[in-house]
Amino acid sequence: MTERGHLPELRERIRRIERPTAAIHGVLPFGIAAIDRALPGGGLARGALHEILGMGGDEEDGALAAAFAAGILGRLMATGNGMVLWSLPRPDLYGSALAAHGLDPAHIVLVRASRDPEILWAMEEGLRAPGIAAVVGEVGTLAAVASRRLQLAAERSCITAFLLRRWRDGGQAARERNLPNAAVTRWRIAALPSQPLRGEPGVGHPRWRVELLRCRGGEPACWEVEVADATGHVSLAAALADRSAAPVSTEKFRRTG
Amino acid sequence: MPLADALSFLPGLATAAAEPAEDAAALRRLAEWCSRYSPWTAPDGTDGVRIEITGSAHLWGGERALAADLTARLDRRHIATRIAIADTLGAAWATARFAAGKSPVILPPGDCRNALAPLPVEALRLDPATTQGLRRVGLKRVGDLSAMPRDALTSRFGEMVARRLDQTQGDSPEPLSPLGEAPTRRVRLSFAEPIADPADLLRATERLVEDLVPRLARERIGARRLDLAFHRVDGRVERIRLGTARPSREPRHLVALFKERLDTVDPGLGIEDVILAAFAVEPLHPEQIEFADGAQGERTGGIAPLLDRLCNRLGLAAVSRLEPRESHIPERASVRVSPSPTQPCGLGPPSPAMRERVPSAARRVRVPQGGEGLVRRGSAKPPRPIRLFEPPEPVEAFWLLPDDPPFRFTWRRRRHRVTRADGPERIADEWWRPEGSGAGNAVRDYYRVEDEEGRRFWLFRAGFHGADRPPCWFVHGVFS
Repeated sequence: MTERGHLPELRERIRRIERPTAAIHGVLPFGIAAIDRALPGGGLARGALHEILGMGGDEEDGALAAAFAAGILGRLMATGNGMVLWSLPRPDLYGSALAAHGLDPAHIVLVRASRDPEILWAMEEGLRAPGIAAVVGEVGTLAAVASRRLQLAAERSCITAFLLRRWRDGGQAARERNLPNAAVTRWRIAALPSQPLRGEPGVGHPRWRVELLRCRGGEPACWEVEVADATGHVSLAAALADRSAAPVSTEKFRRTG
Repeated sequence: MPLADALSFLPGLATAAAEPAEDAAALRRLAEWCSRYSPWTAPDGTDGVRIEITGSAHLWGGERALAADLTARLDRRHIATRIAIADTLGAAWATARFAAGKSPVILPPGDCRNALAPLPVEALRLDPATTQGLRRVGLKRVGDLSAMPRDALTSRFGEMVARRLDQTQGDSPEPLSPLGEAPTRRVRLSFAEPIADPADLLRATERLVEDLVPRLARERIGARRLDLAFHRVDGRVERIRLGTARPSREPRHLVALFKERLDTVDPGLGIEDVILAAFAVEPLHPEQIEFADGAQGERTGGIAPLLDRLCNRLGLAAVSRLEPRESHIPERASVRVSPSPTQPCGLGPPSPAMRERVPSAARRVRVPQGGEGLVRRGSAKPPRPIRLFEPPEPVEAFWLLPDDPPFRFTWRRRRHRVTRADGPERIADEWWRPEGSGAGNAVRDYYRVEDEEGRRFWLFRAGFHGADRPPCWFVHGVFS
């Protein structure tokens, strides 16, 4: 075959490699233009691995990461069938709060495993099983190979996977936080002081700073959001983001692997 | 004879301390190993093993071949044995211990009475006092007893003599209570050369499952509990026991369950027999299974196969579901229950937890850092933390007025300054529960507080002001 004959084939292969995961199984939009613009395909890729970190003392408890995931899962469950397999080291997930974030606790199968390899194993089993719509795993240490396996399994089965990172202490968090892995997106959620309600004292609407640290085929971005909880359908409200810290420009669309 | 006397007769006598417990354990292991011949085996006293071979001798080519195989295998392990095969347990016992002739002694069927007649009365498994009594009156052989009138025997020596006689001669039944539960269905695979390679173990498992499944299918049953026993060359038995959430005879599923645990099997020097037994079985009709399409086969059970795999590796308690309960005690309002595979998955009607979800702060009170006092009562449910610690974690807290939330607290060696707070929400114990009354923190006042970084905690104060002990503070959960 001539060299000219190879070229189109190579181009096609490169295009396949570069194709963002979003194009494979479709996306789940956040319903907020600012966030959806930053994500390739206009939403969170289905059938892919997403990583969510807590921040500011939340590394140990993973409360914000769990709530953020619960909101996404609630919307994911509304569009399809199946169960959520949630594997965690300590059984401290509280049902009624999950409901407040839109995820029906009746749709969750909890798996408790004390060690990270077992949690990753349970996730992988879930990614291969029928009747599962999404898997969630709360892990501390994560080898790049393990994340790659999860990502491939998620891609193959079109089951969306979430890794909530939970570390023993700040030291472990600092060591693990920046290690690369195969997740399609990496989010970091931090608590912000709540917005008081019409000048009333007390705890107001909870607010988060949501950072998209890494996104395959997209660019990092950051938003300040208010967790809408009055409507049953939990989503991220970007109303505040327009007024306060402006979102990072996300108009450019970079296609990288 | 005391040891000192014995040593005086034979100074070079080798001695060893008696270890009855060890001996019993070894005998039990031997009995377990014998289950390669039949599922009904049991240790017999301190020096024997009983095996019920009815219906399984033909698998070995007859009783003589079975006995020869057993002898050869035990000889290889330097276990001196006498083997007897007879119609009844009692006859086999008597023959093995008292009959003349070389082992194995095999009594022809229906010949118990004649064969046992010349044996001493000790062969009847009676207690020593009874045998002595029999001998004293001149009854030395089993045959002598058979001729005696039963009434006289019973009135003189108790009913045990007559019962043993009947049992030995097959006139009254004597069931063998096996070591383990007797399986419903059983398949066996033996190897001329012991195997040890994990790949071989897996292949053997697959063969056995393929053997078992058609039998289950023929009878329209599915297994709930399975036991895979690997008989090692050295006589030990390694087992994998597993249960399934619903009756199953899906080969891929069963093999996957065993495969998960095969690495726990230590083959030692090699494995010569593998036995797969199905215990609990339940009816399973063919229409519930798709055999035709392997890829679709697992879909029928919904998530049941997944639950099986998770439970078998992580333990039954590891897999659960959250279920809302009617309780105002936070830790009782959401409980973990074991998942039921029959429950339909996916979108059903929303659970009660979803219907009553109207989060909003119920009450507001003054915060030390400023702001006017305000109490608002609402009917809506107050928000709950997404992580609930069990048990609550104690904190060191500072507060001003009795009903105030703390303005500062230290938790996990980290100091938090409270900027906003909601509360108190008083949660009293459920006094109608017997275990709840009289607890130290029976009444808790909960506050939702926010620190300067924006993290939100669920604190509670246990105990009252003015009581003999000052109130303590705990973190019970973290809000999102």
